[in-house]
Parts: sequence; structure tokens; C-alpha cells
Amino acid sequence: MALILGIESSCDETAAALVTSEREILAQRIASQDDAHRPYGGVVPEIAARAHAERLAPLIQATLADAGRSLDDVDAIAATAGPGLIGGVMVGLVTGKALAMAGNKPLIAVNHLEGHALSPRLADPALQFPYALLLVSGGHCQILRVEGVGQYRRLATTIDDALGEAFDKTAKILGLGYPGGPKVEKLAATGDAKAVRLPRPLLGSSEPHFSFAGLKSAVLRAKESGDHRDQDIAASFQEAAIDCVIDRLKHSLPELEGATALVVAGGVAANQAMRGALEQFAETNGMPFTAPPLQLCTDNAAMIAWAGAERHADGQSDPLDFTARPRWPLDPNAEPARGAGVKA
Amino acid sequence: MLGRGHAEHLIPMIARLPHQGRADRIAVSLGPGSFTGVRIGLAAARALALAWGADVIGYPTLALIAAMARNEAGDQPVTVVMTGGHGEWFLQNFDAFGEPDAPLASLRPQDASNTANATLVAGSQAEALCALRKKGHALPLLPDARQFPLLAEGVLVPEPAPLYGRPPDAKIPD
Repeated sequence: MALILGIESSCDETAAALVTSEREILAQRIASQDDAHRPYGGVVPEIAARAHAERLAPLIQATLADAGRSLDDVDAIAATAGPGLIGGVMVGLVTGKALAMAGNKPLIAVNHLEGHALSPRLADPALQFPYALLLVSGGHCQILRVEGVGQYRRLATTIDDALGEAFDKTAKILGLGYPGGPKVEKLAATGDAKAVRLPRPLLGSSEPHFSFAGLKSAVLRAKESGDHRDQDIAASFQEAAIDCVIDRLKHSLPELEGATALVVAGGVAANQAMRGALEQFAETNGMPFTAPPLQLCTDNAAMIAWAGAERHADGQSDPLDFTARPRWPLDPNAEPARGAGVKA
Repeated sequence: MLGRGHAEHLIPMIARLPHQGRADRIAVSLGPGSFTGVRIGLAAARALALAWGADVIGYPTLALIAAMARNEAGDQPVTVVMTGGHGEWFLQNFDAFGEPDAPLASLRPQDASNTANATLVAGSQAEALCALRKKGHALPLLPDARQFPLLAEGVLVPEPAPLYGRPPDAKIPD
């Protein structure tokens, strides 16, 4: 059995975790920076980087103490090396490199998206490759075919906003504050999803991708019109977003032939309405549906440790001069999507 | 000196030292300098300390330059001036004993010129500052970790935190 220390610092959560190759999370800690970013209405990269630098080493020490382990017990160090806000990524990665060098342990430079993509296997030992993955977070919105560790086929991505970004922007428009996704969901539960007519961008389109910018603009117009209750806007937005996701999954179905399950990961996977719709979609199409527990959906270090464990078991490691990558697609061969630019 | 690439080179450089650099006490530059560079150094030092059970102490970069200048030019007051961000310079005056006169400041060149109070000026912008003041003796020194022993114990920081010298650029929206 191998013990992996995971480090995550690619956005606004500083996190450390100890995970075994037997899928046991011995300890994990997450220090959220929500309070530091809230006044700005979004994540400020320099504030995030400063907070990671301040918090990470004590957090790792506390995580080891929680598990009653020392660094000597660890078999490999897995640190997020991108994609993400580069200032924070570099703090986590250099910390991982220093621990690996000082402890004579292998370094595993983990793609944060691979952390999300493999997290369902941490929660569910029965989940076999290949599986269909809907990755929906504040930074990404993709449909992937997960063939194996390190083997991903990107079937769809967003050409503008990520789904979580659309939730956060809707929250901002409705004055719900940051981070807004969970608040939109809560408000939507009390509203009428049919009350506000909102567009479903790219619904039925022959290209496979997502688009949420037009939906967000329509939410802004609906709010500015003064004709609608906020809860109705939230509910109508959430339904439109879910309709888009289901339509795009339908479009990708032929490419997902042979998938053992439909899996959702990323922060938006915490949305219960979204989970319900996905579960129904999977059932209709004869696929099992699985979603990792909520704590593994949002950014966390256990998924990074687990991705490290999968790669460690495969005999992989990375050099100490590994360069942090602000952009790092899971599928380097995927065709660039129209306009997607940085989010491909 | 590296412009970029600390994050790639720092740990391999330490790994090439005798015994992979293993030490009981790790001294790290606190800045000011590139925000990212300062963070990389401190994050590495803290992680090494965690792994080795070592102590970490920090030193202000400008204090090291002051000590290097006094080592070269003799014990006398020195103004240290380094390139900052947004066209500003980091400036700090040190007295004849190497103690700082006032806290670190990030200033526009003209304000830096008005604030500098020593004849001896050291740092990456020393020549520019002397040219602006039309006086002074410039020592264009860059921080060199090997000169750490020149530092007085009094300027060392036992629980090191970065000296960014400037707040983040973000403004709270109206």
C-alpha cells in the first residue's frame, strides 16, 4: 500500500490530503479564502497567491498530524501543477518539489483536471474505464471520455463561460455575493423555473460545445427589466443551464458508446438539481450514474493525492524542474473549439 | 540571478548542494522583489524546514544589500534602492550601524530621490538614484545569498512573512 500526500492551490482553496492507494483518505484539510475575495466579487489572483503562501506549509503539517503520520511515512508527493491561477499553482508545486527533494520521494505533478477526472474512482472502487465524464466547475465545462489514467478524449468544451462561472455571474447579477453557485441553487428552489423566458445557447447545434455567455446576458436583462422576482430568475436560469447540459450530453452520446457509467465532477456537481437531471438522463440511456461525494466535487487535495496514487501505481513521476502550467488541456489532441481560446 | 525560472531551478539547485542542502537552519530572503519570486523562496524554505525539522529565519533583502555595501565601503549610513513594480523603486535608509532608519517604502523615482539620505547608495537602482540626485556614491549591488553571514542578528525575522512592499493591485469594486 502506498501513501500519497496531495497538495492543491490552483484557485482559492489551499488544501492538503493524505490518501492511500487503497482509497482511504487518512486526513484532509481545506482552507477556504472566500472571506478574502468576497469584497472583490471574485477571486483576485495576487490575493490568492499570497494566501496560499501563508497557509500551505502549516496546513500540510496539520494534515500529517491529523493522520498521526510523518513525512517519512509518505511514499510520493502529488502537487497540482496546473491549470489554474499560476501564482498559487507555483506555491503549491514548489512546496511539493521541496518536500519531495528533502524527503527523497518521487514528485508527481498533477493536472488539476485529471484530479477531477479520476476523483470518481477514489469514491467508487467499482468504476471501470472507459467512462463518460461531465466536468463542470468555475473554470471548466467539458464532456470527456476517460479511457484510462492519462488517456482522455475531450468531446466538448465551452466556447465562452464555464458553467460554474455562469452560476457565479448570475449570483453577482442577483446580488447574492461571492461565491454564488450554491446561493443561486438555494434561491432557485423557491422560484418558478417557467416564469422567465431565457435562451438555451447552442441547443440542438451540430457542434458539440457549450456556451453560457448569452444566457448570462439574458439573466442580466431579466434582472434589469425589473419585471421578475429574483427567485424566478434563479430558477429559470438553473433550468436553462441544465437543459443545455443535457442537450450537449445527448449530442455526445454516439462518442460515448461503451462507457461504463456517466460521471459528474467539479464544483457544479454539487448542485442537486443538476445531479437529478443527470441521473435521469443516465437512466434513460441505460448507463449507471455516479457522482463523487460533495467534498470531492469542489476543489480539494484528496483528488490530487488520488490522481498521484493512480500515476504512482503506474510507475510515473516528474522531474524537480517541472514547469507549472497555467493552461493544460487534458486532451492535447482535441480540436480547438471556436472561440474557446484559453478554456479549451 | 534569475529573471524568471525560480520555480523551475530553485529546488534542483538546492539538490545539487552537498547533502542535498540539508541544514538545521534555513535563511530565506523575504523581499521585496518580484511577488512570485519572494513566494517561491519562502514556500521552498518552509517545506524544506518541515521535511528536515529545521528552523526558518527570514531576512529583508534590502538589509542584505545594506550589509554588503557596508562590507565593501566601510561602516557608514547607506540608502538601498531596488527596482520595484509599476515604475516605482523600493527604498530604505540604513544608519551607520546597519539598522533601518524607517520602514521600507515603494516610491516613484523623484520621491525616492527626496527620501534618500545617505551618500552611499546601493542596489539595482543606485546609479539611477545618484544620477537623479546629482550626488552620492553608487554601488550597483544585487542580493547574494552567500553574503548572509554579513547580516546582524537584529535584522533577522524568526517567523518569516513576505515583505511584498506593495499591496495587491486589485481594487474593491464600487
